[in-house]
Amino acid sequence: MEFVNPEGLRLDGRRPMEMRQLRAQIGAVAKADGSAVFEMGNTKVIAAVYGPREVQNRSQQINDQALVRCEYSMANFSTGDRRRKPKGDRRSTEISLVIRQTMEECILTNLMPRSQIDIYVQVLQADGGTRSACINAATLALADAGIPMRDLVTSCSAGFLNSTPLLDLNYVEDSAGGPDVTVGILPKVDKVTLLQMDAKLPIDTFENVMQLAVEGCKAIANYIREVLLENTKQLEYRRGL
Amino acid sequence: MVGLSLGEKHFIQGGIDQNLRSDGRKRDAYRPISIETGVIPQANGSARIRIGATEVIASVKAELGRPNALQPDKGKVAIFVDCSPVAEPMFEGRGGEELSTELSVALQRCLMGGKSGAGAGIDLSSLIVAEGKICWDLYIDGLVISSDGNLLDALGAAIKAALSNTGIPRVQVAAGASGDEQPEVDISDEEFLQFDTSGVPVIVTLTKVGRHYIVDATSEEESQMSSAVSVSISRKGHICGLSKRGSAGLDPSVISDMISVARHISEQLINKLDSEISAAEADEDEM
Repeated sequence: MEFVNPEGLRLDGRRPMEMRQLRAQIGAVAKADGSAVFEMGNTKVIAAVYGPREVQNRSQQINDQALVRCEYSMANFSTGDRRRKPKGDRRSTEISLVIRQTMEECILTNLMPRSQIDIYVQVLQADGGTRSACINAATLALADAGIPMRDLVTSCSAGFLNSTPLLDLNYVEDSAGGPDVTVGILPKVDKVTLLQMDAKLPIDTFENVMQLAVEGCKAIANYIREVLLENTKQLEYRRGL
Repeated sequence: MVGLSLGEKHFIQGGIDQNLRSDGRKRDAYRPISIETGVIPQANGSARIRIGATEVIASVKAELGRPNALQPDKGKVAIFVDCSPVAEPMFEGRGGEELSTELSVALQRCLMGGKSGAGAGIDLSSLIVAEGKICWDLYIDGLVISSDGNLLDALGAAIKAALSNTGIPRVQVAAGASGDEQPEVDISDEEFLQFDTSGVPVIVTLTKVGRHYIVDATSEEESQMSSAVSVSISRKGHICGLSKRGSAGLDPSVISDMISVARHISEQLINKLDSEISAAEADEDEM
């Protein structure tokens, strides 16, 4: 199948190095301490953060840092063909783990000992890149909850099809069987905190693809920063400052 | 769960006694309602509804299937509700399952009539493509995104909005198939059929706190309830379903009183929902 046509356009009309449209909204869940909706094209996720609060299960309490927990769930209607999935299947457990580890890395957990932070992400529409979208949504939700963080982690994926590196794969491109590199970075300190790839790729191509994904992450970081700034301005305005 | 101090509990109960609730509403007033339709592009129909801080999404997906052998002239409808942990940490893991099942069953009972399919909110025989062979199966999924009480009413309204947003593709059945053969079908991507949703009932839940009952309770108010009665009422004023929750017993005369109050309130609610739904549809068309 042809994923990049001779004019250099992809199936959804994007250029190889073009990202899908980003949209973010802070404060979607009234009762949560922090929440955000993050959209990358047709992929749409909601993240909600509860905490820091008292540890619910005493045996899990950590005396010198906060306990971070994460649950990933997909809505029944999120995929093209409707399927009723059992909760806690292997895929969602793995993604929960990935998100938890990535977020734990950037939260200053040592400032909140003996407490618990819960991150819940819910996929409303899945069109490739849910992992990245979830991490970006979680970052915004954590920032909205006012939880101290080292940096704003952002994530983006890139792939390699028709011997062209492609940024931010959608579902059709993702299921084409090519490599899918998901990267998460701390943009300020320029460090990679998450790196996952399936399928195989020559080393020198891999570097290009990964570099592309890192560039994508940085673009998302800029966008997230703008959204947060705008939100802070709104809050300031409402307080009449 | 809601943790309230003794003072807060007294405040909520006192407010309800004096017909002035904590958020300034009267006992029979709803919070502001807003509806958006077509929020899930891959579904046949969808809607998001907000009632105060409660937010739910309903989606309708249609798939071709075989009708039940006992009812060859009727399509099938299944309602599932999921409570996302995003709405409440309590719903984490399997924690939301009990409530999800309770809500699914209550909705099925209130909107889709009995086992025979009689009294359903939508005309099930309109889902038939070829009698006894092919019909549309409707899967209605509800998702609770933010919970601040009154989930059943919100889900009922969301499903009503999603159904009126639903377009089912027109299907051509190839002639010539005879006997037990499954006929070939041609699904149109251009022509869509709409449902007649004027018969879909609304659900009004009356929550009894102390000696009075209130509509559209928030989760703080729900934590103080002794029992709640959900009545589903159609536009004509017919009672389509009834369920009672909570442990306290109710006097039969109180129940019939509650039903007549619910009927009165449902008239306003139906009008409010209809105008919101048509406004949402108009908004969607403009986009």
